[in-house]
Amino acid sequence: MDLTSFTQYVLSGLVIGVIYALMAVSITFVHGMMKIVNWSMGEFYMIGCFVQYLLVTRFVGPDLWVLGIPVAFCLVFLFGMGIQRYLLRPMFMGEAERLDEYATIITITLMVLFRNLAIIIGGPYQYSVPDYFPPTDLGPLPISGNRFMALVGTVLILGVFYFVMKKTWAGRALQGMSQNRIGIQTAGINVRRLDEIAFGIGVGLAAAAGALLAPVFLVWAESGSVPTMKGFEIIVIGGLGSIPGSIIAALLLGLIESLGSVYISSVYRDLFGFVFLILILVFRPNGLFGERERLA
Amino acid sequence: MPILQVDNLSKQFDGLVAVNDLSFSIESGEIRGLIGPNGCGKTTTMNMLAGLYRPTHGDVRYHGKSILKLPTHTRTAQGIMRTFQIPKLFSEMTVGENMMVPALATSTVKTPEFIEKLEHKSSEKLTFCKLDHVSHLLAKQLSGGQRMLLQIARGLMVEGLELFLMDEPFAGINQVTKETIMDAILEMNKDHGITFLIVSHEMPSVRRLCQTVSVMHEGSMISEGSIEEIANNPLVIEAYLGGQNAAS
Repeated sequence: MDLTSFTQYVLSGLVIGVIYALMAVSITFVHGMMKIVNWSMGEFYMIGCFVQYLLVTRFVGPDLWVLGIPVAFCLVFLFGMGIQRYLLRPMFMGEAERLDEYATIITITLMVLFRNLAIIIGGPYQYSVPDYFPPTDLGPLPISGNRFMALVGTVLILGVFYFVMKKTWAGRALQGMSQNRIGIQTAGINVRRLDEIAFGIGVGLAAAAGALLAPVFLVWAESGSVPTMKGFEIIVIGGLGSIPGSIIAALLLGLIESLGSVYISSVYRDLFGFVFLILILVFRPNGLFGERERLA
Repeated sequence: MPILQVDNLSKQFDGLVAVNDLSFSIESGEIRGLIGPNGCGKTTTMNMLAGLYRPTHGDVRYHGKSILKLPTHTRTAQGIMRTFQIPKLFSEMTVGENMMVPALATSTVKTPEFIEKLEHKSSEKLTFCKLDHVSHLLAKQLSGGQRMLLQIARGLMVEGLELFLMDEPFAGINQVTKETIMDAILEMNKDHGITFLIVSHEMPSVRRLCQTVSVMHEGSMISEGSIEEIANNPLVIEAYLGGQNAAS
């Protein structure tokens, strides 16, 4: 195998890794902020896919495909804030005894509800979003235009997310909440409002990922299941709650899947990630960047 | 009118009664001590006063108005601040950011002048708490005493602070830092009229700071008075030493 082919496989792995990263960041962000696992994240991704599909095929056409990303993010952001306020907030108000069980039940219920609603509304069919960008080259790697734009879009969204979290006071308040939930309340910040915003941003990112990837994969009621599975794999590999960990783990997973498919067999593509996950759990149970929780 | 009035406050966790029909009041400008054996309900009481726990029964009035339904951040905005035995800091942020984030995150105005004013206030409070030389360090790099001081300094950033609830501010802290904290409390009380409710097991510190001390035992108030009065109260002696030991 020559160097050019190897570079192509590495690049292809990194491209898919970057695309995985957005979904993983959205899952780990909600976990880091609210200390809950949102099992319905894939369904918010699916909503983003459908928003993009409807916009491109019915409303604005392929030329204005880029509108789908902010529209999906904003709609799902507001929807997520409502869900947090009316369904998840009670667990932080002393009205639920087992927070983790409460969150699990609510978010699994939402997952089942949204999937079935999507089947009722869209039927059991798979839809495809038409290409809106011609094939291009990324160095030595020929890449489909949609996939290239998904890559560029993901990098841009992650960049904006990084800027908001690190450079704005609201972002720092969110970081403060993830670092010390009681401390942020006693410092005078409305943690209920922050919860709404954090959940809204988390599910909004998943929807943006859906809007970006709608033309890369098919759009249907269970579109979100594979990205969610990959997302959970990535956040465990990277370390729960660690955003840099999620990004690096996503790139590693993309590389492992790509190289494993070439050098071993593409039949086992999904298996490579799980083997890697098991190895990480054996040698670093808290993930690559996870820290052991201090109990005292 | 007392600044804080606690009426028949109770807190039950399933079958465990942590605080039982507790009533007391604190006058404005007072430094009140709250002591009692381990597990007597002091921290639970502080959590109810700060709005972190919802009482099972009873009322808490601040300047005569019930604050029972107010969430923690609203109580802070009204001038009630609480510190913890294990400081609740933003460990991955610098000392300076720990001071600034709450004020800036809650403010709608973020003009350069406002930020500059806030930075000046932060630097002043850090100097007051002898932390100015570590303002660039991450909170997790501070010693235990410095973390406690940072909690206090961050509390002083609250606009219109009137009532400072301190939970074990001297626990596990060296004598020099203890002195710094005590001096800060006395100065805040004298110069700014801030009222304190201090939970502590450190009797020398309580003796130096508090005019009045309230004693809790098994969730209830058993005595209140000067340190000498409570020290001679048979109920207090029995609570701390146990019935048989007290008798012998």
